[in-house]
Amino acid sequence: MTTQSSTPTVQITGVRKSFGAVRAVDDVSFDVYPGEIFGMLGPNGAGKTTTIRLMLDIFRPDAGKVAVFGGPMEEEKKNRIGYMPEERGMYRDQKLESTLVYFARLKGMDEDEARDRLAGWLQRLDLYDHRQKRVQDLSKGMQQKAQIISTLVHEPDLIIIDEPFSGLDPVNTRLVKEIIEEQRQAGRTIIMSTHQMYQVEALCNRIVLIDKGRSVLYGAVDEIKRRFAGNAVLIEGEGDFTSVDGVLDAYQRNGAWHLPLAAGISPQEVLRSLASREDVHIERFEVAEASLDDIFVMVVQGETPDG
Amino acid sequence: MHNITLVLRHEIATTLRKRSFWFTTFVFPLLILAFSLIPQLLTDRFVGDDPVSLLTGPAGAPQQIGYVDQAGVITTVPADLSSLLEAFPDRETAEQALHAGQISQIYLLPADFMQTGEVVVVAPSLSPLAGEQNENLLRWVVAANLLKDEQRADLVLAPTAAVQETVIAPAEVDNRSSAAGFGVSFALMFILFFSITMSSGYMLQSVVKEKENRTAEVLLTSLKPQELMIGKVVGLGCLALLQMTIWVGGGRLLLNRGADLLAGLGSVTLPAGFWVYLVLYFLFGYLVYSSELGAIGALAPSAREGSQFTFVIILPLLIPLWFNSIFLNDPNGTLATVLSLFPLTAPTAMITRLASASVPAWQPVAGLILLAVTAWFFIRLAARFFRADTLLSDTSLSWTRLRGELRNTVGSGK
Repeated sequence: MTTQSSTPTVQITGVRKSFGAVRAVDDVSFDVYPGEIFGMLGPNGAGKTTTIRLMLDIFRPDAGKVAVFGGPMEEEKKNRIGYMPEERGMYRDQKLESTLVYFARLKGMDEDEARDRLAGWLQRLDLYDHRQKRVQDLSKGMQQKAQIISTLVHEPDLIIIDEPFSGLDPVNTRLVKEIIEEQRQAGRTIIMSTHQMYQVEALCNRIVLIDKGRSVLYGAVDEIKRRFAGNAVLIEGEGDFTSVDGVLDAYQRNGAWHLPLAAGISPQEVLRSLASREDVHIERFEVAEASLDDIFVMVVQGETPDG
Repeated sequence: MHNITLVLRHEIATTLRKRSFWFTTFVFPLLILAFSLIPQLLTDRFVGDDPVSLLTGPAGAPQQIGYVDQAGVITTVPADLSSLLEAFPDRETAEQALHAGQISQIYLLPADFMQTGEVVVVAPSLSPLAGEQNENLLRWVVAANLLKDEQRADLVLAPTAAVQETVIAPAEVDNRSSAAGFGVSFALMFILFFSITMSSGYMLQSVVKEKENRTAEVLLTSLKPQELMIGKVVGLGCLALLQMTIWVGGGRLLLNRGADLLAGLGSVTLPAGFWVYLVLYFLFGYLVYSSELGAIGALAPSAREGSQFTFVIILPLLIPLWFNSIFLNDPNGTLATVLSLFPLTAPTAMITRLASASVPAWQPVAGLILLAVTAWFFIRLAARFFRADTLLSDTSLSWTRLRGELRNTVGSGK
């Protein structure tokens, strides 16, 4: 469980990073605590990957402070981190097992220990019989699972995973979710970057939303959803609900229309507007609990509950 | 250090699993050797000392020649040459045989031969090589008849054929006059050129592979970019040294057994300390070029883009090959000396000079110092290109970008 009274595993404070004239990260701040699954959200090109690279000391910030395990990054601390980048990295022309052993050894494991642990992981993820195959001969899903093994085999205290479910079928998605939950229960800190909001809702304790290099939303998932409650309505009925004043978006889910509202627009105003129209027939109207999907869209479009 | 060792071992294991490495190590030098030495082998066969071989072409078919001895010099023809020489009583009979294709040439020894030494040769067409072979044969037969002794004829025609040299002072190296000496100098130039370019090429491929496989980002969470570079340079350097040892070891074996394998090769003299210079020039040359190509690999997003710059990078190493004749004709001239002292051309040029002729002792030392300083400079420069932002970048590599990176890197003095 999250223990915010303890020292943060990762502490990012006012971090900035530019590449030439482009400011990729601009004054981003957040803390990640031991034993929590922390979601890092944001549209493509928002600055998430750069923030992760700053965290991992791959890049140095132009300004601000990054603290990992209570202080600046040191070589020994790197072995306590498991990182799975969005662009999976494996030697395609080499055998799976030897590639995994090489990465495990770079994380400080000796060869025998690495082979022992890898055998267990390979069996659990149904890759044991494929361990002598070249990586390029494995399916995308298998390569994805191999990457997860490479991230976890050295039993890191901090796990950073970028889009962990991409390329996985439902069975393996469930397996990976189990593994992530298992790691959290073992007291490890997990930072997960993904676009799959329902996975974030299901797994994450807290989130930060980064947009255009800035952190625009940060806090516990439940608290954020409470803040955004009332900012969407659920409608069942007949007619076209895609062009309603004060509504940001309109989409159907489980036979009902879901309408996130613009800042400053109340559900009553939307109801009055719809009631005055003759081209729609309303059978059900209720205030919806905002999903992270809606919140993501609202925040990225500059629509916050406070306007 | 632990990370460098792991990268080094990984590079060695990965490269040793490549078929291309073993092909270049064993098959390629054999091809070079064949191209370099087969002409020499054939030439030696034609101009050797055995009179029978003089008339035995590559196909082994004897060519009979006729002679008309009006001076009465040739009274006996050795039994093993009788099938090659046919006596005719007069020129007309001999010419009839020549027209009928029974003989290839006619030698006429006129009646006043003993006074004038003049010999007339009649041949259907001009054939300088065959003429020389036949003339050697006739010269030997005439000498043997005049002296009435075949062994004395051998001695008269080649009085110092079996000289054994005993050196009591430092030998002056001069391999220019022998074809074998030229072959050794040229072979060494080729060996150095190919071993340096191929091993440096492995460096480029290895760095670009980290980018193409997207492994650079994973590696950078475990080690520093410079550790990655050093591990690769040293690992591939070990393999380059292994390759070089196999090639030069094979070459030395050939030299030691030269008398058996190839006439004249055993007589090639190399200066004291030559092999030490060879290894050092090779190692520092490898460091210069692998650093340069490693830096290109760090900047290029793919092997294809990186290889576009390879030719320009290795161009200086090619220059001595283009001017190879100067190392034989004027090894201590201005151009040869400049090329052997200029660090980018020194690895091939200096070794070729050392193998070709005596070089003033200070020059190989000075060349080595300049080369070592250049290697140090390029390693430091390459280390600045091995950064996370370059290794993780997909930006296309152009001359403009390369100039910009160089300007920023050198200008910032990072």
